[in-house]
Amino acid sequence: MLPAAALILTTKMTTLAPVDILILVLYFVLVIFIGFYVKGSTNTSEEFFLAGREMSAWVAGLSFVSANLGSLELMGWAGAAYQYGILAMHWYWIGAIPAMLFLGIVMMPFYYISKTHSVPGYLQLRFGEGARGLAAGSFAFMTILMSGVNMYAMALVMKVVLGWNISFSIWVGAITVAIYVMLGGLRSAIINEVLQFVLIWAGAALIPILGLVEAGGWTNLKTQIAHNVGSNDYTHLWSTLGHFKDNPMGVHWTGIVFGLGFVVSFGYWTTDFLVVQRVLSANNLRAAKMAPVIGAAFKMAVPFIVIVPGLLALGITDPVTHQQVFHLVPGDVARATGQHAYDQVLPLMLIRYCGPGLLGLGITALVAGFMSGMAGNVSAFSTVWTYDIYGAFLNKKASDKHYVAMGRWSTVVGMLVSVGAAYLVTRSASIMDYVQQLFSFFIAPLFGTVVLGMLWKRATKAGGFWGLLAGTVSSLGMFMYTSYGGQKALARIALSVDARPMAETLYRALWSWLICVGVTVVVSYCTKPIPEAQLAGLVYGATPIPDDGARGLFQKPIFWAVVVITVFFVLNIIFF
Amino acid sequence: MAEGTGRGERLSIWFFVGMLTLVYGAVLAPYGAWEWFGNHEAPTVLNNLHPTFWWGSLMLVFGLFYSIKFRPGKD
Repeated sequence: MLPAAALILTTKMTTLAPVDILILVLYFVLVIFIGFYVKGSTNTSEEFFLAGREMSAWVAGLSFVSANLGSLELMGWAGAAYQYGILAMHWYWIGAIPAMLFLGIVMMPFYYISKTHSVPGYLQLRFGEGARGLAAGSFAFMTILMSGVNMYAMALVMKVVLGWNISFSIWVGAITVAIYVMLGGLRSAIINEVLQFVLIWAGAALIPILGLVEAGGWTNLKTQIAHNVGSNDYTHLWSTLGHFKDNPMGVHWTGIVFGLGFVVSFGYWTTDFLVVQRVLSANNLRAAKMAPVIGAAFKMAVPFIVIVPGLLALGITDPVTHQQVFHLVPGDVARATGQHAYDQVLPLMLIRYCGPGLLGLGITALVAGFMSGMAGNVSAFSTVWTYDIYGAFLNKKASDKHYVAMGRWSTVVGMLVSVGAAYLVTRSASIMDYVQQLFSFFIAPLFGTVVLGMLWKRATKAGGFWGLLAGTVSSLGMFMYTSYGGQKALARIALSVDARPMAETLYRALWSWLICVGVTVVVSYCTKPIPEAQLAGLVYGATPIPDDGARGLFQKPIFWAVVVITVFFVLNIIFF
Repeated sequence: MAEGTGRGERLSIWFFVGMLTLVYGAVLAPYGAWEWFGNHEAPTVLNNLHPTFWWGSLMLVFGLFYSIKFRPGKD
């Protein structure tokens, strides 16, 4: 028996009725059909890797937000809402909305008019091959591991909820995703992400709706949570962030605003190629600017299906005994005692409210989310591998047809490596935590390099490379230091003895970004500037931004960005 | 051009969205009706609100609207 699987519950939570299986099978039939259907439109590299750059703002925008709406995220943050209360909402609001709008309004014009195929591709144009190689290598490594983590997480959920065999789930998921991404490339992945977005809402929206009915509305729910946990701290977004020890997460508002809201969020949403690739598929500059704005509007609504279920599990009480219904525990405790873990809150709530049919819809939504996560990672991997590693360093002069074939084969090979990674995780569940941490090593410094590259003409090639390397190495060093140095090390990194592990990620990101920016600036001033003529199309101030074709107020991306940011502020004030 | 699926294709991405929700609605609404009127409700919390029937009906209407609005050959 697989060790990690053996540690979790030995009894399954529920079983699927024939109608549930019908719903699940229909989904698999449709995604395979879509793969074959769009294969005829994926003959050139631009079609395979960038979906022909013909997506509308709505398709690119939904795909952009959906690429981050994987089931791993949904289940993890629903569990975080149970553990930390409404503070988990920050990862969906301040931890996403400003960065998404910044990408659309400020950065997208440079990505789009430079005609780059990838984020490492932009780094090559701006900072040369060294920066590209570093970014591409780390990104390819991370995405393939993340695909494996998604695969394992899906198999684990199917095992815990339905009692399915781990290997069966891994191979069915992997083969299905490999078929439709190999056939249709990014186009297949985007179509499935849009379908997944609809499915997630169709499958999960009933949980908060019925949950709020059961709780007697939002005000009653807040009262019940306060009664169950003995504190009002779980339902306030900002008022408890004055000191590390005043809130369940053990964070300070400076960590949330500067660490999460600025560095982590901007790093992820503006430089992680997995999400940026979706916007690069837009059919014109205005669509490319609008896509992140549309994505941000939908992102603001996601806490309704993720955070509210976690809060409901905290607040719902038995009508007879008046005791809290759900008693969830950390994952390691759950593995030892057989209780339910925090991140099982979403399946538990699904089973509570959804009978046959709706249960199948919810399970299908989770499966779609996991498969979309795998597809997103493997399609981004195949692009970066083909353009930024194979095409840049191994075979520079191959034909377009050859690169498309390489893209298809690298999808299959990437999927097989992901399967290997998934089995590696089954041997040691803690690997999963490390893989998820990997992103934080690279993303914050990468944001420093890209944003300086776009906004500061004086940044040189050597500055970009050494800044990125210094930021990444320092982030890794801080992670090792806090992993082995315990609370004392954490207190040094987060600047407080009351800081908890969540604060470590935020402050580590902030310091590594500052180190990256500092080194880039110092090295740039010590090296010869790049002639301005070579920066055209890459840097603010050296590039005339072309007209995006918007006619009238309602067509302007900036107008809708102002609308979204206004709603964002209003929501933060309401839940202050 | 069918939006999202490539130049020259007939089925748009929104048609797939419509078909998926239409088919799911067509499965869930009758199943929910059978549960409700045949007294076969699953023992879930708030099953007296018949969520399968109402949610299935909503998906059916949504799917019907999208499938018709983005049907092949409309443009």
